[in-house]
Amino acid sequence: MAAPSTDITSLVHEPIDPASLAAYVRGNGDGAIVIFDGFVRDHSKNRRTLYLEYEAYEPMALAKIQEIAAHLHNQFSIHRVAMVHRLGRLEIGETSVYIAVSAAHRAAAFDACRYAIDTLKRTVPIWKKEYFEDGSVWADGELPPVPSATSAVKPAS
Amino acid sequence: MPPVSQSIRVKVLFFGRLKEIAGRSHESVDLASEADIESLFARYASRYPELQQYRSSLVASCNQEFAPWNTVLHAGDEVAFLPPVSGG
Repeated sequence: MAAPSTDITSLVHEPIDPASLAAYVRGNGDGAIVIFDGFVRDHSKNRRTLYLEYEAYEPMALAKIQEIAAHLHNQFSIHRVAMVHRLGRLEIGETSVYIAVSAAHRAAAFDACRYAIDTLKRTVPIWKKEYFEDGSVWADGELPPVPSATSAVKPAS
Repeated sequence: MPPVSQSIRVKVLFFGRLKEIAGRSHESVDLASEADIESLFARYASRYPELQQYRSSLVASCNQEFAPWNTVLHAGDEVAFLPPVSGG
C-alpha cells in the first residue's frame, strides 16, 4: 500500500525545514493545515537533557511511515501529507519529527495528524538515546503490535 | 545442480541497546534449515547472556515486517531484533 506520490515521507540527517513542508501540503482546495512539530525538550524525568541521538532501522522505518501516510488517505478526507523524521544528534529545541496534513475541513486534518503521530510513536522502528551530564539512557518506548503467530505458510521471497 | 543444503544463511540486525550488548549492528549467520526467530534469539542469548532479560520486551521483524517469534526462516531473510520504539 503506497502513499500517493504527492506526499512527502522521509528520514533525514539534516535539520528539517518546517516552512517548506507546510507550504508543500497547502493547496487551493484546502481550508486547513494541521501540523505536529515535535522537538527536543531540555529535560526528562527531572534531569537536564544535553542532547538526543536518534537511530532507525531506516528502510523499515521509511516503509512504516509510508504505510501511515497511505492509511491517512484511506481513513480521512485529507489532501496531502508530509511526514519527516530526523536522525542523528539533535540539540535542544531542534525538530525531530514534523507532520503536516492538509484538508478541506479542519476536523479531518486534526484527526489525521493525531493518528499519524500516535501511530508513528507506536510502530515506526526509531529509537532515541537521551544524553545527560552524568550519562545516557535509551528512552522508554512502546512495543509495536506484532501479527499473532500463525501456521500459515509464508510465501517464498 | 548444487547439493541440498542443511543450513541457511540469514542476515541479523540489532538496534538500540541490543546493538550495544551484541557489539555489532549486523552480521550474517548460518542456521539449521527449520530454524525460527525464537531459536535465532536463543543462540544470541547464549552468546550474550545479558540479552536474555530483554526477550519479553522486544519484538522481531523478518524482511522488514513485524514477525511472530515462531516465524520459520528461509535463506536470505533479514531478521531484526527491535527494542520498544521511541521515535517522535
